[in-house]
Amino acid sequence: MQVRIGIFICNCGKSLNNIDFPKVKERVEKFQDVVYVDLSPTLCLKEGREGMLSAIRERDVNRVVIAACSPELKENVFGKALEEAGLNYNFLSMANIREQCSWAHEGDVTEKALELVRMAANKARFLQPVEKKDISVNKEILVVGGGFSGMKSALELSGLGLRTTLVERESALGGKLGEFEGFYGIETTPEEMLSSTRKAVEENGDIKVLTSAEITRVEGQAGDFTVRIRTGEKQVSQSFGAIIFATGYVTKILPQDFELKPEVNIISQRKLVDMLQAPERLERRPGTIGFVLDVSDENSRLPILFTLNNALAVKERLGSEVYVFCKSLKVDSEGVEKLYREARERGVVFLKFEEKPRISKEDGRVKVEARDVLLGEEVTLLCDFLVAEEKVLPPEGTEALSSMLNIRTDSRGFYQDENVHLYPVASERKGIFFVAGCKGDLDFTRTSTDISSAAMSIYKLLSPEKAIVEVEKVKVEPEKCRACLTCVRVCPHGAIQMVRVDTEKEVAKIYDHACDGCGICAAICPAKAIRFEGYADEQILAEVEAIGESL
Amino acid sequence: MIIAKRKPLEEIKNMLSGYKKILVVGCRTCVTICWAGGEKEVGILSSQLKLASSGEGNELSILEATVERQCEKEMVIEELRDKVQEVEAILSMGCGAGAQTIAEIFEEKPVFPALNTTFIGMPEAEGVWVEKCGTCGDCMLYWTGGICPVVRCAKGLLNGPCGGTRKGGKCEIDPEKDCAWVLIYRRLEKQGRLDLMRKYYEPKNYRAVQRPGRVEAATA
Amino acid sequence: MNGEDNKIVAFCCEHSAYPVANKAGRMRLHYPDNVRIICVPCAGRVDVQHILKAFEKGAAGVLVMGCQEGACQHLTGNTRAKERVKYTESLLKEVGIDGGRVRMVNLAPDMAQRFIDEVKEMAEKIEGR
Repeated sequence: MQVRIGIFICNCGKSLNNIDFPKVKERVEKFQDVVYVDLSPTLCLKEGREGMLSAIRERDVNRVVIAACSPELKENVFGKALEEAGLNYNFLSMANIREQCSWAHEGDVTEKALELVRMAANKARFLQPVEKKDISVNKEILVVGGGFSGMKSALELSGLGLRTTLVERESALGGKLGEFEGFYGIETTPEEMLSSTRKAVEENGDIKVLTSAEITRVEGQAGDFTVRIRTGEKQVSQSFGAIIFATGYVTKILPQDFELKPEVNIISQRKLVDMLQAPERLERRPGTIGFVLDVSDENSRLPILFTLNNALAVKERLGSEVYVFCKSLKVDSEGVEKLYREARERGVVFLKFEEKPRISKEDGRVKVEARDVLLGEEVTLLCDFLVAEEKVLPPEGTEALSSMLNIRTDSRGFYQDENVHLYPVASERKGIFFVAGCKGDLDFTRTSTDISSAAMSIYKLLSPEKAIVEVEKVKVEPEKCRACLTCVRVCPHGAIQMVRVDTEKEVAKIYDHACDGCGICAAICPAKAIRFEGYADEQILAEVEAIGESL
Repeated sequence: MIIAKRKPLEEIKNMLSGYKKILVVGCRTCVTICWAGGEKEVGILSSQLKLASSGEGNELSILEATVERQCEKEMVIEELRDKVQEVEAILSMGCGAGAQTIAEIFEEKPVFPALNTTFIGMPEAEGVWVEKCGTCGDCMLYWTGGICPVVRCAKGLLNGPCGGTRKGGKCEIDPEKDCAWVLIYRRLEKQGRLDLMRKYYEPKNYRAVQRPGRVEAATA
Repeated sequence: MNGEDNKIVAFCCEHSAYPVANKAGRMRLHYPDNVRIICVPCAGRVDVQHILKAFEKGAAGVLVMGCQEGACQHLTGNTRAKERVKYTESLLKEVGIDGGRVRMVNLAPDMAQRFIDEVKEMAEKIEGR
């Protein structure tokens, strides 16, 4: 169909004095395919818009160029005007002759204004219609991981009127909370916390619990994730609007750092907790207990929290001498500095090393040798038990799961939030969130804020029950797609997946609701199979070509 | 798939010296996927050639085209038949097979290769492709746990490591490379098939593939 | 576009550089008028071909302006743009166009003065070509 361009120029209440508007109008009328040009002092106000509307109708304009202020100010207003005139809102191309022309330069800027209008007109020739569509969203939420944070997430969402399915890999809910001896200074025991939370979940009608269950497949986008869950032999498919990962962490004593031979009394924190919970069962009260930190894991805060907590508990219940070997005790988690000071006051001795301590056996006790940096001397400690540091790791299956879902993990293998400062609970895929331990930072005081944050984001995402999307604004052309997977791997929002067309060919497909309109895929596609309406190659190149084009 | 890399611009310019009107032809198959000769690279090379020629004061006129698969006669004919009439020479951005197909069909027009076709390989990371297969025609992957020593061992040894493996399992000749036989050992160990390493593998029959090779499939 | 015009094509990302240019205008901070701004949704949308085409059509300099490192709303857009600009520099060098005539700039949305400085610097560089 023949392109008929209407150009509407606004002089912003006659204030843009360094542009010779009559000259612009005269020259612009001569551009190819232009059927109407008009000047207005106030295009965005009622009179100006109505004038534009009647001109579009009378002159059968099918592409509109508006030269005025910066697009984001009045784009919506003008878009609606186009719709009123019977044109698709995307047939609008704007030239910024105010902020980036008249206001930006001294002296006469008529030539530049002319060029900006030409650029917009060139682009307008290649504009295509874009439709908007309502898509309904599913309000059910999937919570992966039935530990403390998973259960709390489900409860919080229930409080917002949202139903959840809680999937736990083990046969019972609970996770790691039960492994804690207690939180120093807090009366409620972990066991009490756990059982009350578990009870609340079991009694909540909005929460469906699936234990011994695993996620095997996830497809789709925010508002409609199709998830396959396997329980034993059975597999069910269900649709969810959003997913929260609360899969936590695991800890491991690394054999290269600590030899766990039975005759050498190196024990895990768990073993220590068992001892602390039943001190009467011990043959002999241990005279000296040593802890080692910053050997296997210099980044996680969990070993420090465990150590300080348990050291204080040892002082309280066993009365032993306690020594902690550390390199750089990181006490930045909430409350930990207080714990540290308390520990020091209670007589826990902290020894700071640069080089890894040497651990060996002597006379049935554990010998630890290290050079204390502050004393400037070699220190030798003989202890009855040495509590090994445990490395904090993502749980088994994290790599497979993150790869399946196309979500990023950080250098340690934990889930990576999209922006640690601005969006600390969101993955880069819309609708998928991470809370608490599975991100690897393990600051327990942040667990509740993480969960509230994720719950609110989900509420905002799903409660309207439908979402408006621009249909195929960024689109893969199936015939040109080479299935090279570049766009799938590169999309920062995980909005592209491979689908089968005609049951044979696999091509990439961009999910409208998940797409955030960056165009990275369009730029990188080696087959040039992706078209981004509004910023398509031919549109950008048309703008480039307009620069310096002589009449 | 086939991995190729574009030749340096200087070399391409030398091939084109004296020609005033050329056709640059890409391919939408292997060379698109390895970012060497697809529609995009055709555009980039044409841009560069235009900039170079106007910079030097000559005028080079360039037509662009991209064939679905440059090694298929019908596709080449369909896409290029008309454009070829208008030019003096053709610059192929397909692999060696593609370039030669065009040369065979349009015998009167000189066809120049813009790419160096390097190997059969796969993507290792974004923008990085590595060689996997040396097209020896006598595949021994059964014996080596799926790792090809012909291309991945610097010496092409077929019966175990040379004994010069460096620390960390690196190759004696190229310390950046992994020793293929260490990789093979570990792989077979994982699969519980280490006994396969006891097999004596005869020297490779390089005549298994005659050059130029020819494969005839059973017709339906 | 011919060389005498000395036009600078600036691809500006809609989250940082485009609003920055607007801010400069609102503050009436003046800069050379041979700049032509093309808005892109992210610096990562800019392709090598766009930059080469600008030079082909006679531009004297090209700026690719996006968000500061670590602040790209699309995570990797500005790093990709940086790599592409570097690659394009090498392609341009092959055809005898060098001396920093294509440049990647990272800005926060309030850095109006920085925007001006970059444009002025490019304008000076291309003068007399």
